Formats: sequence, C-alpha cells, structure tokens
Amino acid sequence: MHRQAVLSRGQIAHCIRCEAVIGRYHRVNQREVLALTIAAAILFVIASLTPVLAIEFGGVETQANVWTAALSMDRGSIVGAALVLIATTFVVPMLQIALLLWLLAFASAHRRAPGFAIVLVALHWLRPWSMSEVFLLGALIAMIKLSNWVPVAPGPGMWALVGLTIIMAILGKYEPRSWWTLAEPQRP
Amino acid sequence: MTLPGTARAMGFVACRSCGLVSTLTDALRRGRCARCASTLHVRETASAQRTLAWLVAGMLLYVPANVLPVMHTNGVGGGADSTIFSGIVSFWRAGAWDIAVIIFIASVAVPATKVLSLGLLLWTVQRRSEWAKAHRTKLYRAVDIIGYWSMLDVVVVALTTALLQFKALGTAEPRPGIVFFCAVVVTTMVAAKSFDPRLIWDTRAADG
Repeated sequence: MHRQAVLSRGQIAHCIRCEAVIGRYHRVNQREVLALTIAAAILFVIASLTPVLAIEFGGVETQANVWTAALSMDRGSIVGAALVLIATTFVVPMLQIALLLWLLAFASAHRRAPGFAIVLVALHWLRPWSMSEVFLLGALIAMIKLSNWVPVAPGPGMWALVGLTIIMAILGKYEPRSWWTLAEPQRP
Repeated sequence: MTLPGTARAMGFVACRSCGLVSTLTDALRRGRCARCASTLHVRETASAQRTLAWLVAGMLLYVPANVLPVMHTNGVGGGADSTIFSGIVSFWRAGAWDIAVIIFIASVAVPATKVLSLGLLLWTVQRRSEWAKAHRTKLYRAVDIIGYWSMLDVVVVALTTALLQFKALGTAEPRPGIVFFCAVVVTTMVAAKSFDPRLIWDTRAADG
C-alpha cells in the first residue's frame, strides 16, 4: 500500500516490495500527445496502404505489407494464423490509435469523451496484443533472408513502420492508467 | 527494512484494469470498480488453475508447432518443407548467425523461458513459498513483457510467402505448423495474463 506521491520532472515511483513502476512524471503534455497520436495515425495509414517490402524480378513485382502478409496465409487450414496476424498487427494498433484520438480530441476541448471508462479499459487490455514492432523486426529479417536470392527493396511502408514504432514507444510510456486524470471532472 | 503493510491487510483492493484503490467494504458491496466498472478481485478467481490450463495447452501445441513444417518453398532445385528449427539451422549454415540467434531467441528461447518461469511461479505459489518474492514478481513481469516477440517467425513466414511468388525463381507457401505456432504464442500469452502476481505474496508468514 502506497500513498500517492507528487513527482517532479524525470522522477519515477517504484513499489517498495517488488520495484514495479507505479508512477511517472508526465513530461509530454496533452497537446504534444495529441500531435504524436495524429502522426501515428498518418504513419499507420501509410504503412497499411504502401508496400513495406517489394521485389522486382524478371518484370514481375511482388509487394507486401501488413495486409498482404496476412492475406498470403489466408488459405485453407492456415487461416487461423492469418486471423491472429491481422488482429495483432492491424486491428489492435488501429483501435489503439483510434481510441486514443477519440479521448484526446474531446480532452483538448476540456470534455470527457463519451464512453471514457470503457475506452480506457479497452486500451488497457489491448496493449499487450499490439505487435507493430514485432512486424517491423520480422520485415527486416524477411528482407535479409530473401536478399540471398533476389534484390528486396524497402518501400515507403517500411519507413512509416519505423516512425510508427518510435511514436508508439513514446506513447507507450504512458500507461493507459495515467489517462484517467485526463479532463478530470471537477469534484463537487 | 520494514515494509509497509499490504493493501489487503489494510482493507483495500486495487483494480487490475485502472489501478484505482477501493476499500474492501466497497468492493464487497458493489463488486465493481467505482471508476471503470471492472469486476474487483482481491485475488483473481482460480488464477493458478487457469494459468496451469493455458500453460499445458501451450506446451501440447508446442509439439506440432515444431514437428510440422511451417513453410514450403519451391525453387529451381525442387521443393522443400521447413520447420521453425530447420529455418534457424539454414540461417546459421548460410553464415547469418545473427539472424539465426534472433529467431532462436524469439521462437525457441522465449516460449521455453515462459513455460519454465510460469511453471516455477505456479509451483512456488502453490507451496506458499517465502523464497525470493520480489525476484519472482520481477520474473513474472519479464515473462509478461517478452511473450509477444514469439510472433516474429509468423511475421517472417507471412512476408516470405507474400513476396516469394515467382515461377522462374521460386515460390513459398505457408504450412499448418505456423497455425500451431500462432496458437502457442496466444495460449502462453493468455497463461501469463491469467496469473495473478499478488499470489506470490500470499505466503505462510503473510497469513500469520
């Protein structure tokens, strides 16, 4: 049991028993977080629409991004893997960004978004299933692996994915728990 | 060093979704968190049993995930099935030892560490052991964080099969092993999520 402490810049509160992080000072303010989230949304759209990797060989070109990678496994008994992949590398990150935008858009108008509590609980449970960074590392390995046979080029989607991973890492420092103080209603 | 009392001993319970602390009296009366409406549990219901069930499921699925091929490649020199392990070996032989190590960590070491660690946590919790409580709590957090990197090989197979579609050069197709491997990642992640780390602190001494 801990009493809430007031933290100053750069301080992190740890549990005295198990050293878990239980509080951080929030360096980035709400407007900066909103800007980061908008940037994440744009990068996410780019990563989903443009190729992450592309191969051109003998006049034929193949491309792959989050979508086409999952769809390539959409055959017969493999569809289960395709569903897990599309959920963790597309649906979950998309929901995270969309829900965060929803909260922050209302918060910037000093209002609590409709469904505030449900959205925050959803963000808490979605977080461990968000695997954009795993996809990025997988893409780099696939690129190295295939480049033994054929020249593989990273597409715009790769750079978008790099940016997205960095932004999600910065946003990830904010535990969904810390959003509860966002646009907190005035206590009577 | 004297530790402050636990929340439970002082009559409080924290919400596992939003972190808000409620009094036990409130928790018993409402059963739900006042802030986020999640169900409050002093300890998650049947946490150890659920963790064990998911863990055993993950261990069973791990066998076909490694025995069955995850990918089939058709090249100029004929077709070949590859498993997770043969993929690692071929990277190693090709001189790409660094990639081999990354895939080995993600696909073999991480799932094995998860199974061993959760097994150790379940066993010590069941014995209400006093041993290394803080370290075991940290071990749990580590297991919880590293789990999802095991999806790495699934991504590599998916991208390879999406990209390698050239009649003149070679084609790649996924094989059922990858479905089992996905299932291993999901079941072991759920196993880790089912475990309530507060159980580590419910020792014989704590009960007095």
